[in-house]
Amino acid sequence: MDMKKFDELNYYEILKIPMNSSYFKIKQAYKDALSLYDQDSVPTYSLFTREERDEILKRINDAHSTLIDDNKRAAYDRMLVDSGQVEAPISFRTKQYQSSMRSSGSTMADKDRLQSKMKEKFSMESIQNLSKELFSKELLSGNDLKKFRKALGIDIMEIYSITKISISVLNAIEENRFDRLPPDIYLKNFLKSYAKILQLDPQKVVDGYFKTICLSHPADG
Amino acid sequence: MAKIYPIGGGKGGVGKSFITASLGALIAKWGKKVVIIDLDLGASNLHTLLGMQSPNIGLNSFLDKTVQDLESAAVSTSIPNLFLISSSHCYMEIANLFYAHKVKIIEAIKKLPFDYVFLDLGPGTNFNMLDFFLTSEEGILICTPEPTSIENSFRFIKTIYYRKLKQMIKKHIFNSLQKDFSEDAVKPGTTPSDIIEIALKHDPEKEGHLRSQLSKFKFKFIFNQFRNNLDATLGNQFETICNRHFYSFFEFLGYVSFDGRIQDAIFSKTLYVHRYPHTQSAADLKNIAAKIT
Repeated sequence: MDMKKFDELNYYEILKIPMNSSYFKIKQAYKDALSLYDQDSVPTYSLFTREERDEILKRINDAHSTLIDDNKRAAYDRMLVDSGQVEAPISFRTKQYQSSMRSSGSTMADKDRLQSKMKEKFSMESIQNLSKELFSKELLSGNDLKKFRKALGIDIMEIYSITKISISVLNAIEENRFDRLPPDIYLKNFLKSYAKILQLDPQKVVDGYFKTICLSHPADG
Repeated sequence: MAKIYPIGGGKGGVGKSFITASLGALIAKWGKKVVIIDLDLGASNLHTLLGMQSPNIGLNSFLDKTVQDLESAAVSTSIPNLFLISSSHCYMEIANLFYAHKVKIIEAIKKLPFDYVFLDLGPGTNFNMLDFFLTSEEGILICTPEPTSIENSFRFIKTIYYRKLKQMIKKHIFNSLQKDFSEDAVKPGTTPSDIIEIALKHDPEKEGHLRSQLSKFKFKFIFNQFRNNLDATLGNQFETICNRHFYSFFEFLGYVSFDGRIQDAIFSKTLYVHRYPHTQSAADLKNIAAKIT
């Protein structure tokens, strides 16, 4: 109770750097963080147990490996913005604004249009049966999501225009290409946004999908 | 209302009394009315640091009602505007203060008509010391750059937290908690901290309340006896770590450089900042005094 949880910090906070930091700055901050939490560090050696320290060092390594990889970093930034943990940087906001201007109207309008389209579909018996068939199981694969999406007549571009999850990630999710998926923390958020559009229970989708991932790596347990 | 700064820290000999006397003297010199209270009960010697004989009146006069109020227990020092409430004449068992006396002292401290009140606390983490520290939300921790001192500072912060939580639970939610405890088979040997853990598990809403109370603390800390060969980022690192891993706000006030003449001044019963006003350590103390006024 007396200690805050380290995992409440995002990767930038862990490294104590602003979101627009350069590659060099990330490297430097990583070195500093490692030395701060090193087992011989004067200010921290007496504060943590070995397990706590290992956990913290693991998070620091995750932060580093994500932020020095341009693709992973972009996905991570997007996740921070989408989940409301940080405000969108100006450049990011303009981009979103422009892309939604180019497509047929704003994200909100896309959403409304999609919802009215789906209202009709959901009343159809065939859709209700398919929903039962696909989502009554404990496991859930990308194919199930894709099948259901197609049955509802939703294009993958429509998912993109609302969620702003990149098409390549959406394809990787639907095609079970687990090696191309972003790290768990934002995969979870992506799955939740996806599930909401298909009016599925977001938590069930996340649980089912992660079970499928686990089964595909039996070695990891 | 006076600004109250309790000055504590887990370890003895880190310079709590020295820093209390120095900050008090500097701020008094800037024209503020300052009182320093010797609450290192049973081992008080703040008067010696100020170059005074043990005063005849002090905390004892307040407790045995020789004087009307705590303000009247303050004696003037050789420095204009600086007053001292000593505990050197208190009864021999003062270290085991009666609960009622403790409450009386704390309530009186809060009403003192001064600009600044400094509380010089003893070492360790006994209840009296913790409760005096909790008189204000802006306590100052003194530590030295040694690993042992830093370890004690962490222990001190945690102990303060548990003491505060226990106080709050007593005050507001004790009744409802008792119900929780009877349902939960509390084993003999459960420590106060375990009890708090149980309390919080039972009611996450209270956890939020308790956490927000802890977040009101603004701990300040000073590294004393700092030598040139040490890592100069230590203070900021300690600040980062505390702000990250505890619920309160932590502010590093600065280092006080090591200077052998500090000991000379103590031996000759003169106030260091007056005798050596142009040294690095005196400059450090001035900077710190400026930060808290």
